[in-house]
Amino acid sequence: MKPKVIIGIIAIIGFTTLLMVNFSNSISTYTNFADAASRKSAHVVGKWDNSKAHGFSVENKQFTFFMEDEDGNVRKVIYPKPKPNNFEQAEKLVVIGNMENGVFYANDMLMKCPSKYNATGEEAQFQPAESVKS
Amino acid sequence: MIGIWGKVLINAAFVCAVLAAGGYFLYSRNDDNRYFRASNWLFGLMGAFLVIASGLLVYLILTHQFNYYYVFNYTSSDLQLKYLVAAFWGGQEGSFMLWIFFSFLIGLGLMKWTRKPYRGPVLFFLALTQVFLLSMVLGIHFGDVAIGASPFRTIAEAMPNAPFIQANPDFVPTDGKGLNDLLKSPWMVIHPPILFFGFAMMTVPYCFAMAALWKEKYNEWIHPALPWTLGANVCLLTAIFLGGYWAYVTLSFGGYWAWDPVENASLVPWLLGTAGIHTMIIQRKSSTSQKASIVFALLAYVGVVYETFLTRSGILEDASVHSFVDLGLYTQLVIFMAVMTGICLAMFAWRYKKLPSQQRESKIISREFMTFAGAMILFLLALIITLGTSSPVIGKLFTANPTPPEISFYNDWTLPLAIIAGLLTVIGQYLFWKKQSTESLAQDLLLPVALTCIVTLATIMYAEVYDLYAMIFMFSGWFAIIGNGIIMIRLIVKNPMLIGGSLSHFGFGLLLLGILASSLYNSDMLDQTTQTYNAAVERGEMTDADGVPIRQKANFIQLHLNKPELVNNKYLFTYQGYTLEDQERPGQQEYRIRVESIDGSGGLNMNPQVYPMSAAAPGGSIQWSVDPDVHSGMMSDIYLYVAGSSYVEQRNEAVKERKKRGQQAAATVPADTSDAQELVMEEGEKIDVGGFTIGVEAFNQTSTEGLPDSTMIAVRARLDVQHKASGDRQILRPLFAIYSEDGKSWSYSPPQQLQGYDVSFRFTNIDPQTGKLTLEVSGIDEKYQEEWVLVVAEEKPFISIVWLGTFVLMAGFSISIFRHWGREKRKNNN
Repeated sequence: MKPKVIIGIIAIIGFTTLLMVNFSNSISTYTNFADAASRKSAHVVGKWDNSKAHGFSVENKQFTFFMEDEDGNVRKVIYPKPKPNNFEQAEKLVVIGNMENGVFYANDMLMKCPSKYNATGEEAQFQPAESVKS
Repeated sequence: MIGIWGKVLINAAFVCAVLAAGGYFLYSRNDDNRYFRASNWLFGLMGAFLVIASGLLVYLILTHQFNYYYVFNYTSSDLQLKYLVAAFWGGQEGSFMLWIFFSFLIGLGLMKWTRKPYRGPVLFFLALTQVFLLSMVLGIHFGDVAIGASPFRTIAEAMPNAPFIQANPDFVPTDGKGLNDLLKSPWMVIHPPILFFGFAMMTVPYCFAMAALWKEKYNEWIHPALPWTLGANVCLLTAIFLGGYWAYVTLSFGGYWAWDPVENASLVPWLLGTAGIHTMIIQRKSSTSQKASIVFALLAYVGVVYETFLTRSGILEDASVHSFVDLGLYTQLVIFMAVMTGICLAMFAWRYKKLPSQQRESKIISREFMTFAGAMILFLLALIITLGTSSPVIGKLFTANPTPPEISFYNDWTLPLAIIAGLLTVIGQYLFWKKQSTESLAQDLLLPVALTCIVTLATIMYAEVYDLYAMIFMFSGWFAIIGNGIIMIRLIVKNPMLIGGSLSHFGFGLLLLGILASSLYNSDMLDQTTQTYNAAVERGEMTDADGVPIRQKANFIQLHLNKPELVNNKYLFTYQGYTLEDQERPGQQEYRIRVESIDGSGGLNMNPQVYPMSAAAPGGSIQWSVDPDVHSGMMSDIYLYVAGSSYVEQRNEAVKERKKRGQQAAATVPADTSDAQELVMEEGEKIDVGGFTIGVEAFNQTSTEGLPDSTMIAVRARLDVQHKASGDRQILRPLFAIYSEDGKSWSYSPPQQLQGYDVSFRFTNIDPQTGKLTLEVSGIDEKYQEEWVLVVAEEKPFISIVWLGTFVLMAGFSISIFRHWGREKRKNNN
């Protein structure tokens, strides 16, 4: 084989490997609070635990609530934005952020809102909170 | 009845497409013109059936026949005409029809303009794609297997398990669900058609490449295919631009590009098509790169099909804000994709040995190599973006429930490639127009390099750029602008029609600079409270009520009614109230935020909106959506939306209250008097209560007609009630009457509701001595909270450069279309 071809093959393999490694690092998995503690950034799926205090504080400029993940862990979630307008209606939440000392700092929040015609068995769609930039 | 006709027509169109494909196949093999003519007729007939079917669907939509699922699902009777028409492509089925229709139009063009030997196979492959697309809207059932989803389904067919259908199979809803509020935008009328026209045109290079493989004529096909590919690119670019602009001005993610899977999916075919244009241009100039041209032409279309699969199979449902709902077409879409890709691979493998390969390798300093390198970079970009977008599929290799990749994945990989691409455009253009040796090229590049260094240094100093990466990025952008600019000026002197390439690359340079500047200098606009807060958060001093440290900075400002706030030490923001609007989106509030420069150099009024989504949630809850306002300037945009307001809060509270009351169904006390307050006022007096100004204009005795006979006296007050924030003003006429019963006098004061608020007034007494009247007001919070809004505002400099770059790119491509198309026309005429 010509040296050029060999260099080319090495370059392609190198590029692909690097790309895939980086890709695998940048994707995360939908997980629970317990597992989120060991991750730099996590997507936790769950629903709002409305039995505990929640609210937006103007002084602290953040919205705090408790969320129960799909395995039943309840944790405090801090979201540094006004309370999303559709928060109460959301039947499912996805918070994206990191866990620190048992508190989840969410940079992003996605809400799955039910549709009026739920009876038709149609899939509800995810809606982003109105401020998705972190 | 119309629905049956619609289905029949679509099925007939499908049969015609199958027959036409067969006919074109025979024509390609036997070169018998009878087959060609017959197939053309069949193809035309297919188009006619499709046009009539589309007309029927439009008719159903315009006449609000909600027993049809498509009409019910995407329209409502209060929809304006433009959105009724746009609803045609608001759903999957209709947008497939639109796509098929555009493909049909393009087929007519190919029939007229394509020459032998490609004519037969090109039309065969086009008809084949039509067969697949039409199969998506067939709606035929074989037992449990359904082929396609018909836009003419009735509600009973679409959701047989719905309770109201089981109760009454002939149920016709009185109104439809309406078009999604986010789609009620003028962009909805124009963006999808352009996108689908682009998709349809992207089919053409694919057809030509397949025809070239079939007929083993690998050189000539690019001449007719090039203008089509360029056309497809301009369409896709326009569609991407419109989509980006639409997202920027109506969504709240605060930018023109969010690496959303759907956005990516329209970018990938564009990148692949552009790669194809590059290799086709080399092939035209120097008869090399035949393989690459074919590969990219095929890939661009495979990219379109793959994007169709991703957005329409429901696979991205969790990952994207705006993918279509799954219609159960998953398997069919996989088959479509597999067959299209399979045919490509098979044809390519079959002819691989016979494909011309390059005798001599190109030198690095040659236009062939540089242009090819450009194509490769575009290909790599497409590959990376496809990888990121496919995370729900490919991510499974690494983890069980893959999320989309972080935005940084896209930025980290695409931006360095874009920097290299910016540098290559100039070198490529310098080599393109003149044969150069390394020395002569170096000499020629001296001028652009020197100019770029000066301009970049000046920009770095002026804009205070300290980041090395940004400096390199900026150099690349300026280099592309200056280098291609010089070439363009030289070409204009010779022949202005030749500037397509350099103009496009010039636009690319602008785009690079625009992307850099708009992301580098994008800044939140904050008042002093938030700035102080953020500084404290940074120092780690902030904790919340539970002692939990606060780690995240805030990016919003609280504004109180008519109290100006200093923002960024540069602007004064004043919340001036809101207007309730009931036109396009019922219940919409339009907020008035005044933005003024403190140096007094003028101000502007921004009107962001918040509106309830019409498809409300169960239990009367309201889903609010925001619509930002963008003030576009030459140098800088101000982007602003209302993230929360006292009005929205009150409305949500009211819903909660109503729900609570609903649960305690027994308690049907007309008015909750717990929060009632008494006001004692005299005629002509005006007082502020809560967010309202209440004035007693007059009170007079009124006739007792309609009241019980025992009524002794009846007085009506005339109240002028004004809601301060919205300026909403109402006149109320509460009644106070005294009647006697069983020898006692009783007073009668029915509550009167303030329209649109949970506030009611009762006129409960008159003091005959002082002439003062007593009003009982309920629903106005005693601890009156001021009217406020939470505003997220960003200053976005140089977004205009991004748009300008895009326009220049479009202009460059368009000039190339004219040039190549003009040459093809002349050939056709000879």
